[in-house]
Amino acid sequence: MDAIIQLIHVSKWHDRRAALSDVTFEIEKGEFVLLMGASGAGKSTLLRMLIAEEQPDEGQIFVHGKNVTKLRASEIPYLRRKVGAVFQDFRLLPKKSVFDNVALPLIVQGASEKDIRRKVTEALRAVDVDHKNDQLPNSLSTGEQQRVCIARSIVNGPVVLLADEPTGNLDPERTREIIELFKLINARGTTVVVATHDPHVLKYVNRRVITLVQGVLLAERRVGEGVGG
Amino acid sequence: MRRLFYLVREAWVNMRTNRTTTIVAILTTAFALACVGIFLLLYVNLRNAAGSLQEDVKVMVYLEDRLPSEQVRELERTLKTDRMVDGVLFISKEQALGEFRVQFPSESHLLEGLGENPLPASFVVTLAPSFRSPDAMKAWVERVQTMEGVAKVDYNQEWNSLLAGLIGYIELAAIGVGILLSAAAVTIIGNTTRLALLARQEEIEILRSIGATRTFIRIPYFLEGAVLGGCGSALSLGILKFAFELFRQQIQLTGRFSGIEGMISFFPLSVCLALVMAGMGLGFAGSVVSLLRVGEGRA
Repeated sequence: MDAIIQLIHVSKWHDRRAALSDVTFEIEKGEFVLLMGASGAGKSTLLRMLIAEEQPDEGQIFVHGKNVTKLRASEIPYLRRKVGAVFQDFRLLPKKSVFDNVALPLIVQGASEKDIRRKVTEALRAVDVDHKNDQLPNSLSTGEQQRVCIARSIVNGPVVLLADEPTGNLDPERTREIIELFKLINARGTTVVVATHDPHVLKYVNRRVITLVQGVLLAERRVGEGVGG
Repeated sequence: MRRLFYLVREAWVNMRTNRTTTIVAILTTAFALACVGIFLLLYVNLRNAAGSLQEDVKVMVYLEDRLPSEQVRELERTLKTDRMVDGVLFISKEQALGEFRVQFPSESHLLEGLGENPLPASFVVTLAPSFRSPDAMKAWVERVQTMEGVAKVDYNQEWNSLLAGLIGYIELAAIGVGILLSAAAVTIIGNTTRLALLARQEEIEILRSIGATRTFIRIPYFLEGAVLGGCGSALSLGILKFAFELFRQQIQLTGRFSGIEGMISFFPLSVCLALVMAGMGLGFAGSVVSLLRVGEGRA
């Protein structure tokens, strides 16, 4: 299989402290990967690097065949259009309706009115909030807001979906629902990387797990398997 | 289409969200540009006045007494073929005497005691418009003065120089005040854009994370700057027009400087449109400066 994400000896320092230290791994196309680690383990730094919000101090990162560390500033937006991102704090625009929030990535790309309507409706239906498309985000529950955020991240059909602590603000039941949603998105062919510190997530996922401890890649394993490489 | 609508709407939302800042920016820009406009209006009107006065500037070329008619014709031909000359009118000694009698009837008896007509024949020369500057006129007069048969060349050099000097000073003042207050307008609008940028930092972060280009993020702020500058400029023209009409009315009411109200005029429509466009340009520049200085964040 082809590697869609590739990290080669990646290191990053924040104020002389290693946020990531010599991290090397690959994620194949269509995989579902859990990135586990406590707060400050370097998960968010790693995800930010995958969408070129940060650059590594050492090493190279490839996403969908592009060397992210060598992208020009003008090329970065086009990378981000291929990589959907879901955040713990949802990052929805409070004064725009659910529909407008989800439509934003398509508007940015200059999609037609017809395409926007069709794709946004599909995405909202996929996350089961299509009945709330006229509402403002703040009138929704946290679980629904996270679903809207996921709808926005998949609306333009990204090849990779990155989720940074997507269940951090959710109760166990909503956590399960969101993870099931990610599995469904993954089943449609999108590579999914979920960063979390919540060990309960493991209960719902029987997939590959990459564990980081203080910026060091500690282990790679499948849930239910022993600790490996 | 949706993208264009989105960008225009974002600019409008920016202005509505920061309503007070927007209004203050338009008002201060309007007053700054109105100050520039006063000088511009003064300059344009004085130039027009100078132009019409310069059209009346005639150079008198007095001829030596008893100059043979052949030499007079030769001189006339030389003057008429001169590229700096627009028109030549010959006034004979008799015509000069007749004009003197018409213009000064009570003093005409003074000449009678002198016997022979003492007034010289002359050419009244109108110079071509492009050679009516004080320097060009002076050079031409010095050249003609040396011609054979010419007794004296006379024109109102002082008045012409004074007017040209005055226009020069007003032009300098207009440029100086224009640069200074335009910079002020750019700064005012730049600060408004900066406030909008800071207020919407979170939204900008979201736009960046979903793949918006720098241009896409910046366009609403450029539009906002251009609209603020355009509105400020249009308002300044309104203020100027009001003040101009008030001034003209006062002149008519008081009766002082009678005749001047016909000579002065407001900017023509084309200039008004150009000034609004210039205001938009200044506003746009303000936004550009602000975005370059503060930036909309990292890429």
